[in-house]
Amino acid sequence: MSLFMGIDIGSITSKGVIICENQIAAYATLPSGIAYRATAEKLKDHLLGSAGIGSEEIKAVTATGSGGSQVGFADYHASSIVCSARGIMAVFPLVRSVIDIGGQSSQIISLDDKGQVIDFAISEICAAGSARFLQVIARILQIDLQDVGPLSLKSSNPVNFTTGCAVFGETEAISRIAQGVPPEDILAGVHKSIADKIHSMAMGVNLKPEYALSGGGALDTGLVKRVQDTMGLSLLLPPMPQFVTAQGAALVAKERWNN
Amino acid sequence: MSHNQTPLYFAGVDIGSTMSKVVIIDEEQNLRAAVIGPTGAEHRRRANEVMIEALGQVGIALESVAFIVATGYGRLNVPFAEQQVTEITCHARGVMTLFPEVTTIIDIGGQDAKALRIQNHKIVDFITNDKCAAGTGRFLEVIAETLDLPLYDMSQISLKSSRPLQITSICTIFAQQEVIRYLSEGAALSDVLAGMHDATAARVVRMAHRIGIQAPVVFTGGVALNPAMVRAMEDNLGCPVMVPSNPLITGALGAAAIARDKYHRLTAEGRIPAVSARRLEEIRLFEGGAKT
Repeated sequence: MSLFMGIDIGSITSKGVIICENQIAAYATLPSGIAYRATAEKLKDHLLGSAGIGSEEIKAVTATGSGGSQVGFADYHASSIVCSARGIMAVFPLVRSVIDIGGQSSQIISLDDKGQVIDFAISEICAAGSARFLQVIARILQIDLQDVGPLSLKSSNPVNFTTGCAVFGETEAISRIAQGVPPEDILAGVHKSIADKIHSMAMGVNLKPEYALSGGGALDTGLVKRVQDTMGLSLLLPPMPQFVTAQGAALVAKERWNN
Repeated sequence: MSHNQTPLYFAGVDIGSTMSKVVIIDEEQNLRAAVIGPTGAEHRRRANEVMIEALGQVGIALESVAFIVATGYGRLNVPFAEQQVTEITCHARGVMTLFPEVTTIIDIGGQDAKALRIQNHKIVDFITNDKCAAGTGRFLEVIAETLDLPLYDMSQISLKSSRPLQITSICTIFAQQEVIRYLSEGAALSDVLAGMHDATAARVVRMAHRIGIQAPVVFTGGVALNPAMVRAMEDNLGCPVMVPSNPLITGALGAAAIARDKYHRLTAEGRIPAVSARRLEEIRLFEGGAKT
């Protein structure tokens, strides 16, 4: 039995998995904070504890994500694009296009039949089009992130934000709240803004079916529906979308170990 | 010259996204009143109070103002103005009143930035950013809130830096994290803040280059009150900038100067504008308001 570990240090949340025969045997998440190195160590301890094993039983570790380079104990490093691609193929072998909505950036990846990345687009310059915008607005509305999806689905009149900028969006949302606009319309407006940005990013990438979502943003049912409606696509949803990239990292560890 | 009866006054009202500004000038274009107050959704009434305060400074009633021009983000919703003029036009006019030789105007406001190129006292090109918080006063405010430092202190501390750090993020939200990360790694606050002012200036200067920058450059807007930003702009432009003593009111000043022109043109045509219909009531910003 060979065990491999994948560590995905995202800008907001860190995710880790241990895989056994390509399937997730243990998983853990932690807020990334600002000391990525320490966060990664803690995440590793959580994972080993949860699996009930010692670190010597892990054959190899791959680190990924925006803080991946700071994971001292990693044997390998890989880009989050490659890891998301590997991870989604393990969950849905027929997927050729992945839309990953992360805490601070969104990625659109197109794959070939072997799971190799053909093309991708990434929103890394600004927080528009990422779940970060949603976090900013949820905070001012004092709504827990897990409640955002269900609440937003009640909206019949989503707010039209004038820009995708999360900072200006916050100011605009405050004005709307002052005018008495209900929170569900503001949240649905944020979903619309993120979905529009993702949609325009996707225009530049040659996408083929099947399509899947990944990343923490895919836990938001309102956002999923909005992205689906905006893009006019049916999107497959993994059971634990936030761990797809970490799972992919663990698979990369296995591939490299075996070669 | 008018025939020594009642003196003539002209007002410019600039309703910006963050601040409302009112300037009153007389027939000789002397500045008689300049008042600045917050706009904001919660401060609608304050925008109106700014006008009342300006009238109070001169000691006149609203009816004594011969002509009023409104400009800025909320200009369409000023019920007591005779005419609306875009902020680009008013702004250029206000700066030219103060610095007739100006060739490039760079304005950084609370939520936008713009650059104007002037030739023979006319605007020949301009560029604006109101879509992204980077390179606007909002960027500095977000960092100030994050560090719980007043903007003025942030500017003063920044000026002590000898080795500004490079802020690589363009997005305000990413830069906010970058600043925190630098500080958590033990970087000097002055170096981080100097890097942040530099990043803001670099972003605006990059935009301004798209229309061509030529000295003399005048730097206006609320952000021009920040000495660290003035220095960062000069470093990035590679030339000195001129800053008006009150860089917030140039739009309102230009609007007042345009009000004076309009009044005289109408009078020459024998059409003296009626001022009785003015209503000094609440200014509405988000209901049918237009941008730019």
